[in-house]
Amino acid sequence: MQSSGADRIRRLLTAGAGALLAALMALVLIVGFRLATRIRANVALLQHASLLEAYPAEVSQQLTALRERLGTLEYTGGVHQELADSVAGFDRSLAALERRPDVDPSVLRAVGHLWKAYTPVLAPVLAYSGEPYSDTDFGSSLSVSGKIYYTQVRRAELFAQGRAPALHRRLATLSAALQKRTSSAASRLRLLLSAGVLAVLLLGAAAAYLQLARSRGERAARAAEEQTRDILHTVREGLFLLDADYRIGAVWSQALNHLFGREDFAGLTFEELLHGKVSPATLATATKYIKLLWGERAHENLMKSINPLGQLEVMLDNGRGGKEAHFLQFNFHRVLGPKGVKHVLCTVADITPNVMLARELHAAQENANAQIDMMVSMLHSDPLQVGGFLDTASAGLKHVNAILKEPARSHAEFSSKLAGLSRELHSIKGEASALNLMSIAQRVHHLEDMVEELKGKSELTGNDFLPLVLKLDELLAHLRSVREMILRLSTLKDGASTSDGTLSTPVLRLPGTERPNGTVELATTLQGLARKLAEDHGKPFKLSLEGLEEVPVNYLPTVKDCLIQMLRNAAVHGIEPDAVRRAASKSATGQVRAQFRRVESGCELVFEDDGAGLSPEALKEAAVRKQLLTEEQAAELDNRSALALIFKPGFSTRAEVTMDAGRGAGMDVVAKSVYALGGRIGVSTHPGRFTRFKIALPAPSQTAVA
Amino acid sequence: MLREEELKTFVDGTTRYFEVAAQQPATIGSPYLLEGETAMHDYTGMINVSGKREGVVYFTAPRAMLTVLLMKMQESDFSHESMRDLVGEVANTISGNARRDFGHDFVISVPSVFAGEKPQISQPPGARAFVIPIHWRSHSAKLVVSLT
Repeated sequence: MQSSGADRIRRLLTAGAGALLAALMALVLIVGFRLATRIRANVALLQHASLLEAYPAEVSQQLTALRERLGTLEYTGGVHQELADSVAGFDRSLAALERRPDVDPSVLRAVGHLWKAYTPVLAPVLAYSGEPYSDTDFGSSLSVSGKIYYTQVRRAELFAQGRAPALHRRLATLSAALQKRTSSAASRLRLLLSAGVLAVLLLGAAAAYLQLARSRGERAARAAEEQTRDILHTVREGLFLLDADYRIGAVWSQALNHLFGREDFAGLTFEELLHGKVSPATLATATKYIKLLWGERAHENLMKSINPLGQLEVMLDNGRGGKEAHFLQFNFHRVLGPKGVKHVLCTVADITPNVMLARELHAAQENANAQIDMMVSMLHSDPLQVGGFLDTASAGLKHVNAILKEPARSHAEFSSKLAGLSRELHSIKGEASALNLMSIAQRVHHLEDMVEELKGKSELTGNDFLPLVLKLDELLAHLRSVREMILRLSTLKDGASTSDGTLSTPVLRLPGTERPNGTVELATTLQGLARKLAEDHGKPFKLSLEGLEEVPVNYLPTVKDCLIQMLRNAAVHGIEPDAVRRAASKSATGQVRAQFRRVESGCELVFEDDGAGLSPEALKEAAVRKQLLTEEQAAELDNRSALALIFKPGFSTRAEVTMDAGRGAGMDVVAKSVYALGGRIGVSTHPGRFTRFKIALPAPSQTAVA
Repeated sequence: MLREEELKTFVDGTTRYFEVAAQQPATIGSPYLLEGETAMHDYTGMINVSGKREGVVYFTAPRAMLTVLLMKMQESDFSHESMRDLVGEVANTISGNARRDFGHDFVISVPSVFAGEKPQISQPPGARAFVIPIHWRSHSAKLVVSLT
């Protein structure tokens, strides 16, 4: 900006010096021409004056010469003619001087007067044309006319000798005046020429100086331009200016070409720059934001804080014919001019490595937190119990993988997998929650979310299952790391428990290789889950367990699954919040009871809570909301059939999905497990008082019991 | 952990081959994790990957499928060599797709081809193999991706 102003001033000065030089030259030439003209005229006058000055003496000399020739009887014709010429010349020169206005007239008048006095004496002499000599045999002598002529000549000679000095003085004065004037004009001309030459030299020097300065300025400008070019070629960020029409200017950094894989940015609008690289919604937001930047009142720091393009994910050509996701960071700075915002300077940086690093760090942090949580959970639980869960979970996930492995080509075949996946995952999640292994529970929950999302798709393909199988792999890897952690913990515990304080070889108890009594383990798990559920949902309740030691070994997994799911249901749907219980005159602590007993026909598991009970109408409404029934079908259902809705896959009275409820998979898992053992399940309820599930299982076979 | 985009690149490379070579796109079946059992068919084209990821990717197909594919490609030579060349080409296409999408992050070997014999595949430790069934017409092949 400063450089440009100085350059303009320099250019103006150079032009001014040139114009002044030309004007001065013209002035010198005009004035010099006039002076030279005047000098030439003066020189001419001076010549006339010089001639005039010579004439009086000449005339005197010619008269003397004429008299002497007459005295010596010599030929007088030539001298007479010379005298006539001198007189005529004097008249001519005098007349010439009289015609010039710039000659002092008083001097001319005086000269004219003096010269006029010559006329009476010179006229007879000049008028003589006779023969002044008469020749005889005795020789020659003046003739009569010759004698008169001689007298006239003598008189004229005397007159001229007498008047000549006065006339000469006058003429000398005239000559001197003319000489002086000519000299003066010549001096002025010299002075003018000297001044002109000096001025020309000065101006020339000034012009040369300015030209030099301009060249220096141009060199500096070229150097600055080169530096700018170097900066634009080297800077790693994309740099460009946007004008008031949101168009990119004529200059941008080389990095922009690499970032966007193109080279023609001049005149491109910001919208065109991002078109096809971001979603239409993002593009609309970005365009609105750019418009806001041109507002006079927009505060730059505030605008920076709401920049929607601080981390923009775009799909860019990877130079090999493919596309890859990049994260670009756009920053905007307003360039202000005297009339407000002139441009907006945009900088674009590829922050993909930073984003990736931040994500990896975040993931690592989450993983570390999860491991710490996991370790804390395991410190509070029996590693063998967790090991048992891991065995069950691994078996469950193996089943999940088996479901995935079943060949599928059509939507129906793919869709048929989803219910099985939901049940299996829900069961694993329930047990993980019961053991407070939240990192596992959350991962399974995420997997369940993915399955639920697929259930809503109208056309399923194998592609839809790719994320699912990746997540399954991740979950299996996590289970593996948990298993390793348990191994380390049990090694640590065994090492620390040596009484003599020396390090002994730890007894490695691999999870699943040695199991405590399964029913004790189940009771511990259920009580732990009950405490956690009561805390998570803010509903204090007491869990009473009876007869679990009677559960046959081969029924244990099913009973465990059923009790976990029913316990979660009781905590979420059954037990009412404190205020509701008080209003219904119920005790603040809810009661949940599970009883297992051998009966004549086999086994019976009763599970009941003193909670809100089931409302057939509420169940029907939920079924319509979940689109499991039409309103007409719901209206036709009797109470018994309405209660049976809770065993339908996907049924839930909860609108939102949480870790413990809402998927509609829990009671479905229970029912499917019971049916798989050839059992039956029944439900009875009294709204506001209780819900009771009764599960009847056949007598276990002798070999299984053994 | 293998990312979804990476897995999709290998899958797209495979299905694209069918679309371009036989003008009939292949679809993918339900993907699953390989658990001990072998996933090999009669002919297998395999690439080794190193760099950002380590492991193997292979396409394995039964002879019947390759025969029909050759027919659709207007080929008349159904020899053992043609079959080998065909699975090699599929592996090559998968490799090209990966190079396009991952660039220098992945160093990919020249495809190797196996026929009949059960090759010893050096699966990287800790990496599970993802099996993606490739369905084309009435036939099925498999794409197996095992990368850390």
